Amino acid sequence: MTLKYLIQKEFLQIRRNAFLPRLIVAFPIVIMCVMPWVMNMEVKNIKVDVVDNDRSTLSQQLVHSIEASNYFIFNGQKDSYRSALGEIEKGKADVVLVIPQHYSTDVAKGLQPQVLIAANAVNGTKGAMGSAYLSLIVTAHVMPQAAAIQSQVSTLLLYNKNQNYKVFMIPALLAIVMMLMTGFLPTLNIVGEKEAGTIEQINVTPVSKWAFILAKLIPYWIIALFVVTVSLLLAWALYGITSAGSLGLIYLLAMLLALFFSSFGLIVSNYSDNMQQAIFVMWFFVVILLLLSGLFTPTRSMPSWAYATTYVNPMHYFIDAIRTVMVRGGNLASIAHQVLALAAIALVMGGWAVASYKKNS
Amino acid sequence: MNAIEVNHVGKCYGKVQALNDVSFTVAQGEVFGLIGPDGAGKTSLYRILCSLLLPDSGTSQVDGYDVVKQMRQVRQRVGYMPGKFSLYEDLTVEENLRFFATLFGTSVEEGYDSIKAIYSQIERFKDRRAGALSGGMKQKLALSCALVHSPSVLFLDEPTTGVDPVSRKEFWEMLATLKQRNITIVASTPYLDEVRCCERVAFLDRGQVQGIGTPDEILTRFAHIFNPPGLEHDKGMKAGSENVIEVEHLVKAFGSFHAVDDISFTVKRGEIFGFLGANGAGKTTAMHMLTGLNQPTSGTGRVVGFDIRTQHEQIKKHIGYMSQKFSLYEDLTVAENIRLFGGIYGMNDSDISTKTDELLQRLNFLEHKHTLVKSLPLGWKQKLAFSVSIFHEPGVVFLDEPTGGVDPATRRQFWQLIYDAAHRGITVFVTTHYMDEAEYCDRISIMVDGKIKAMGTPQELKEMYQQPDMDHVFTFLARQATRSSD
Amino acid sequence: MKQFISFVIKEAKHIVRDKRTMLILFGMPTVLMLLFGFAISTDVRNVRTIVVTSQIDNQTRAAVERLGASEYFTITATVGTPREAELMIRNQKADLAVVFGHDFASRHSGVQFIVDGADPNMAQQWTNYAQGVIANVDTGPVNSKMLYNPQMKSAYNFVPAIMGMLLMLICAMMTSISIVREKEKGTMEVLLVSPVRPIMVIIAKAIPYLVLAFFILIVILLMARFVLGVPIAGSLVWIIAVSVLYILLALSLGLLISNIAKTQLVALLLSAMVLLMPVVMLSGMMFPVESMPKVLQWISAVVPPRYYIEAMRKLMIMGVGIGEVLKEVIILAGMTALFLSIALAKFNTRLE
Repeated sequence: MTLKYLIQKEFLQIRRNAFLPRLIVAFPIVIMCVMPWVMNMEVKNIKVDVVDNDRSTLSQQLVHSIEASNYFIFNGQKDSYRSALGEIEKGKADVVLVIPQHYSTDVAKGLQPQVLIAANAVNGTKGAMGSAYLSLIVTAHVMPQAAAIQSQVSTLLLYNKNQNYKVFMIPALLAIVMMLMTGFLPTLNIVGEKEAGTIEQINVTPVSKWAFILAKLIPYWIIALFVVTVSLLLAWALYGITSAGSLGLIYLLAMLLALFFSSFGLIVSNYSDNMQQAIFVMWFFVVILLLLSGLFTPTRSMPSWAYATTYVNPMHYFIDAIRTVMVRGGNLASIAHQVLALAAIALVMGGWAVASYKKNS
Repeated sequence: MNAIEVNHVGKCYGKVQALNDVSFTVAQGEVFGLIGPDGAGKTSLYRILCSLLLPDSGTSQVDGYDVVKQMRQVRQRVGYMPGKFSLYEDLTVEENLRFFATLFGTSVEEGYDSIKAIYSQIERFKDRRAGALSGGMKQKLALSCALVHSPSVLFLDEPTTGVDPVSRKEFWEMLATLKQRNITIVASTPYLDEVRCCERVAFLDRGQVQGIGTPDEILTRFAHIFNPPGLEHDKGMKAGSENVIEVEHLVKAFGSFHAVDDISFTVKRGEIFGFLGANGAGKTTAMHMLTGLNQPTSGTGRVVGFDIRTQHEQIKKHIGYMSQKFSLYEDLTVAENIRLFGGIYGMNDSDISTKTDELLQRLNFLEHKHTLVKSLPLGWKQKLAFSVSIFHEPGVVFLDEPTGGVDPATRRQFWQLIYDAAHRGITVFVTTHYMDEAEYCDRISIMVDGKIKAMGTPQELKEMYQQPDMDHVFTFLARQATRSSD
Repeated sequence: MKQFISFVIKEAKHIVRDKRTMLILFGMPTVLMLLFGFAISTDVRNVRTIVVTSQIDNQTRAAVERLGASEYFTITATVGTPREAELMIRNQKADLAVVFGHDFASRHSGVQFIVDGADPNMAQQWTNYAQGVIANVDTGPVNSKMLYNPQMKSAYNFVPAIMGMLLMLICAMMTSISIVREKEKGTMEVLLVSPVRPIMVIIAKAIPYLVLAFFILIVILLMARFVLGVPIAGSLVWIIAVSVLYILLALSLGLLISNIAKTQLVALLLSAMVLLMPVVMLSGMMFPVESMPKVLQWISAVVPPRYYIEAMRKLMIMGVGIGEVLKEVIILAGMTALFLSIALAKFNTRLE
């Protein structure tokens, strides 16, 4: 019963705040409008320099086939490997292809000429993908039989047929939106009451700690629901991306993640003295959770010790599950184990949060 | 030569006229008082004179320099202690003092004489972090920091709010020695005894100077504000013999330090019990134990019939609490605050709304029902906070320095509310540093060094220690203190 | 001068005494470096592969063995129909299925990869690798050489980015908060009224953070070199010089924020919204700038860390001379001058 009054108070305070209502509305919009374009790890626009030491018709054919490829931006022909390297150092080129002397005679004799591909691998993914793709073109050019094999292998892409990076990233964006709305905002709220001294007043009233904590969290859960809905609508309106699986599952996952983040935020705020500290601690853990969650990089590529941490990383379960639902169209059975794990972690954190809040010291 | 000249100064914040055509002069070496209610424009005036704020109109000179055009010269000559002066909580007492001394181009050793009286009280805690000091101790350290150098002109914005009477006296004695060194002092204060220490005072209200003169002239001319008629308290109507608070051998220790050291007392229903003590004597800690915020180290206590150690949540249902730093949620309106706390104590919607109107009617405050609390003047916030704390008709209400920083007339109104509550049978447990308020209490205890040194009616205490008033009783007892800390 | 020194000491004490913040300040770079150095990678590894075949003949077995023996793929199951494989992929039990046709043995053809395409980059790489393994092209005509980062470690890419992010965060956010805190607590009024010149107050505040940032820079460089094995290919003097320029830039930004913000919360949010988000998103730290739409590329042109990270990648990892990063350095210097002069011009020697 007292819960009603406390929740009302929270909503009034949020509404009165000069900044929060704008943040709540603007944040999902900005995230959904900008982030899918930014979080694009699609490798494209690879700039290629060619050093043709052969200068034969055949070598020029190879150059033309690279020029014709949509995948590469043909930067020009250079006289020497050295000058091409200079281009890489200036950042004007990413990959250099060096065609050796006698290229055409070797090919004609059936020998294998050694074509050199030198890629700037500071960005590993870009270097690897660029050189792999370039070598496919070269191999096909040198060995027609290899081209034949390539043509016999077919690939069936499931789910994200257009290879649209946004389809992959948008489910993950929900996680980021949830993180701010249900993690950072309640933390700031509670530390704020601590700093203002109003928490002392609440502590001398008969309000139970459950009621106090729930009253702090429920408004943010409702806001989170609203924000998730807005984000899903925006994904549909802006990018035509809709969920392949059931919406109910998405909301279920979002609620479990909200429970985790808000409990976590509470724990942090219960142990912090001021806002700066709370934000820093929060930020520290959130960055680790995010980086190890598989949001940006595949978890399977991690070394085993790092992979082991994903078993206790709720973000990992959430991102895995939400991608299964939204992209792959999974049902409850396909994400059962993630849901259970997420719920378990969230409940443990919830218990800790309530235990760490003390009305009486 | 005049140390300060203020000519027709005006200042607006948006539509609010903070200062309106203010003019006065202060002579070299004078102790000048600036008094007036909260929101009268005192702080704006201080800031203008310190060259922190640009006036919209008018001119002023400090020590012969224009505060607008000759900022650097002014700043080299003035000392300023702002109203909400705060220390660096993560630095130790000594580090704070040293820093401010160096900042003003002097050293602690050089300035030691001018701060000795106050600093010696906290010197033994010089290695403690300022953040770990009690409220009054912080204020003393702040005073030491402000006085460690000797500027030509010293501005003090309510320097003694929250400081116990003994320390206040010592502070003003220190100011008197500064005067001997020909330092001009401008100070504001809500305490009448301090007003009387000034040579001349200006009474500022709603941004305008209402009058300038000797303290007696001003206090007589504005007697309705500074010396309102005494309160009628029907002491005959004493409630029953039932004990609402019973405390026996209560101790709270932080490590080896006993903040509250074996206190025992009882408070009867309907009584107004004044819980006095110097800064750091252990009042707040004791109150925290009674209200269930802290667990006692040893001893027993019962509040409204419940054990403070095991049944603190039951106690919380039957008490009200108002602390010095909190009044209400500033970003909620008056009605919303009342509704929130009514709801917390389990009242239903219709009860709340009828009682809200009743309350606001009684306070003559109906027009501000939907005003945000942060835009109310301090005195109103305090009255409102008190009314909210007894809104659910608790058995006992705890008030921790409820009237800090407001003028006598407003405090008188506040005490009228306390009497009304006591009449309705609510027990009042109150701490204060105003000794005139102590006289209003039915019974008083005076705490020194964590122990209760004296207890009885104001009349009994005055007779027992053969002192003319409570102020002297308090000073007499508190001077026996050997420790000063929380 | 004595006042100035005692000011700097006081400021340093504030920083050192806040143990939790200190822990984060030094813990953050360490953890980030370790994560990016060892944990985060986009290598193709442990790809859970299903073999779909109706009959096992020698040719198929050889191909499967080659797949299983490669470091990239782990065969987790063999099923009869593509339908089952698809279900397993959907339930996240597998990433890739290799379907061998009936006549795989006879005609050495008819291989189909069924790939979980959710992550386009990885899907592309898995098929490329699988194709290579199945086709068994060991010695092709191509000789690939990975410049600057032969082992393709992601740390090479991220060390400059971490430097760009953390230096900005520490200098700008911490400086602005510490100035605003004095405003909020009322001590700023006393400092302003004191005989110390206001500009000295600000410089004294900035110096400890400059030192702190410098420390963190050294920690990062040492970790990069000796823990992660990232070579510092370029001139150390220039790396440090450019970093100090960048630290100054960040300090001026912090000062600018402290002029605008009235409360610590606002300073915090401003730093997070105006600095941190764009830095992480638009500086090319994680997401390559050239893949962004034009509009965002223009916006990223005014994000200072973009130039710093770019310059550091070239100086540290590629080991080019200072001449090659002249453009970035000039832009950074220009921005520093701009922000610093705005911040100083806007700095209030009075209260509003």
